[in-house]
Amino acid sequence: MKFLTKITFFFYREYKLNLSGVQDILTNIIFFFVSIFIFIFSIGPDKETISLIGIGILWTLLLLSSTLSLRKFYQDDFENGNLLIIHLNGFSYGFIAILKTLSHFIFVQIPFLLSIPIACILLNISNEKLIYVFTSFTIGSLILSCLGSISSSMNLMNQRNYLLGSVIVMIFSVPIIIFSVGIINLEENFYSLTNILFGILLIVFAINPWASGLCLKLSLENN
Amino acid sequence: MIIVKDLSVERLNKKIFENINLSLTSGNITILKGKNGSGKTTLLKTILNIIEPSVGSIYWKGKLLKKNLYDFYSHITYIADKTSSLTKLTVKDNISIWSKIFLSNINNSQIETALKTLKLEDHLNQKVGTLSFGEIKKLEFLRLIIENKKVWFLDEPLSNLDEYSIELIKQTFEDHVAKEGSIIFSSHQNPGIYVTEEINL
Repeated sequence: MKFLTKITFFFYREYKLNLSGVQDILTNIIFFFVSIFIFIFSIGPDKETISLIGIGILWTLLLLSSTLSLRKFYQDDFENGNLLIIHLNGFSYGFIAILKTLSHFIFVQIPFLLSIPIACILLNISNEKLIYVFTSFTIGSLILSCLGSISSSMNLMNQRNYLLGSVIVMIFSVPIIIFSVGIINLEENFYSLTNILFGILLIVFAINPWASGLCLKLSLENN
Repeated sequence: MIIVKDLSVERLNKKIFENINLSLTSGNITILKGKNGSGKTTLLKTILNIIEPSVGSIYWKGKLLKKNLYDFYSHITYIADKTSSLTKLTVKDNISIWSKIFLSNINNSQIETALKTLKLEDHLNQKVGTLSFGEIKKLEFLRLIIENKKVWFLDEPLSNLDEYSIELIKQTFEDHVAKEGSIIFSSHQNPGIYVTEEINL
């Protein structure tokens, strides 16, 4: 029971931190929408073309916007020693990785998910497709959070090149984009593609605590 | 409670320290003394199982520390030489988060008294980032009271503090030891704190 209470208060702490940095989340969302406008202006007013490539644009921008927030994933807590304090409070490194991933999904990715209907209107994506867009984005963004956790924890050991983490996330997100766009465009294969995407989620969710936990341990050891 | 036997740490093929032996029991204060870079922080982190020792073993309540790690963690408070307060949040928010996350049984009036003693009561709604370094350091000590644990690990607790605060720390140490607590801290010098063991690095 004590452990569950500690987990609840961990999320309370994350909520307070994200609330104090709400301008960062808003900046990410503004970046997302400004980029959509730039795409629309550069493609031109043809509704059919925008509708055809709209999903691809949405996914590319979600990915880019997600990588913007990766620097904050562990860095602040690592630098001010809070990662160590959380560990000494009884959380293993792997468990910290799971909690931080869920926190990233709740406080960074969900605001994006909520803004998707507006983005769909801008990109002329039909209402019937909205449920497919939501499904693929929900699973896909959780996968991106897991990949973000792994790459950010690796970056703690490599303070000189921050772009490397973003590159890793982008490379590993290629299959996610393929299946996610497939879910939306090939409606008849919705269940099979969703299952594949869900399978990828389970794999990265299982690898994340091991990989991120090890990186956190090594980076704290060498700090 | 804690026994350290023949502890050595080597990093990047360089010996940081070797053959360190110490024992910390209830009511004891151990000081780790040494120059900058002599390995005081490394020794503290090694005892906390953050850094792997090259040789030696650490025991907690008679068992190997690694086999009893989370019980050990439930009895200790560690305060590092840098601030762990969340600088974007106010003093009040930090206290609230610590109280919740450490499941503290300390009540508000005890926290208020501690804030008054530390002369921080006027900064309650101020963001931590706007406080002076000494004030942040004092705020950090509030964690000792909030966590209310038996064993304190303190890295350079006396740096950046004025005379009044150092006297306050000395008094806090004495009170903690009188309540069967134990302390291990690192420092360049000892400004008159009674210690039971001194380790020179």
